[in-house]
Amino acid sequence: MLYNVHFGIYVDVAMPVEDNSKSLLPFLSSPKLLPNESESEFQSGLQSLLSELDNPSPLAVALVSQLNESLWWIKRHTVDKELLLHEAMARLLAKAGNHWDTYDNHKVSEALERYLNGSADKDEAAWIDEILAESKLILPDLRVRAFKDAAKHIKMVDDLIHRQHQTMRHLQRSIDSIGYKSRLIKRMDLELAALESKQSVKEVSSLDAKPS
Amino acid sequence: MPNHRRNLANRCNALKSTGPRSASGKRASSQNSRKHGLNSAPDFESSLEYQALVDLIAEEGFSGFACADITAGLLNYRRVMDAYYDTYISPEPVDEFLRDANVKASNPIFRELLSPSGSEPQDVREMAAFFASLQRQERRKGGPVSRRSAGTHKLIRYQRNAIARLSRAVRQG
Repeated sequence: MLYNVHFGIYVDVAMPVEDNSKSLLPFLSSPKLLPNESESEFQSGLQSLLSELDNPSPLAVALVSQLNESLWWIKRHTVDKELLLHEAMARLLAKAGNHWDTYDNHKVSEALERYLNGSADKDEAAWIDEILAESKLILPDLRVRAFKDAAKHIKMVDDLIHRQHQTMRHLQRSIDSIGYKSRLIKRMDLELAALESKQSVKEVSSLDAKPS
Repeated sequence: MPNHRRNLANRCNALKSTGPRSASGKRASSQNSRKHGLNSAPDFESSLEYQALVDLIAEEGFSGFACADITAGLLNYRRVMDAYYDTYISPEPVDEFLRDANVKASNPIFRELLSPSGSEPQDVREMAAFFASLQRQERRKGGPVSRRSAGTHKLIRYQRNAIARLSRAVRQG
């Protein structure tokens, strides 16, 4: 059983940490999902990341959870880049040929979204085609213009994605250092045990060698 | 009264406001510019989770100082990411009335609204110019996706500092 940190419920997912009572996650605020996002997809991403660690410590699990959240943010921001383009396309269409006051930006936006998804009905598609014809544009041209129009915001989203990559790099280094630290402690424990056993053998042999 | 006219009248009257007068009103409006609260100094040590986290991290062989640093780093990082999410899901709302208003066509309404005070046409022109500048600002901010991108973009530096602090604490621990 894994404590599902997102919705505060328990779900049947194998947890690679030996003891759940030692998990840090219940004490940290949890990454939240948007209403239209799949929780199972988020969880499977986390599990696949955790499965790459051998016997992860609670701190490593907490860091991996943050890493998974960063990956999720990259996905969200990548979708946003496309949405920004759609938003700019709708804006350009709505004011195409000085029709800013004629076309409702909101209506055009919704119709265009369905048109681009291929889910627009006949009337809607005809309407979008009509506005495109009025403004003497074809869809690829509109997209290029929209890209130019939304360049500032697209650059912002690129910065956000870049920041998540940097965050992931920091988290990876931290997880590596935890792994290295635990390996170092194990190695030192073994060396100490070897030294102690050597010492005890020496003491025994020196006791044996002492003349009675 | 038509909707467009009422909206314009409300906005014209709001411009005449000199702000809150009562103590509670002033207290409330002093928080108007508060966006995410990340500039205030957090007090993690008195939180319930802090000691539990320190104890759990100590079991991994970190020193007392390192445990405190890592715990504060983790809690701080979560605080920033929570603010990031909140900013993302609730961007500044689009003022559709202002964005779509036809300022030129609103001139007669401005004239009518301002005439009781015996205003001159110059006042009407100034009012129209003021609304036009507000409208330009509103349109420049774009739609909801542009607004949420701009909102979260402002939190980049907090995220950078928070992850650097956490990473440093773990690696030096």
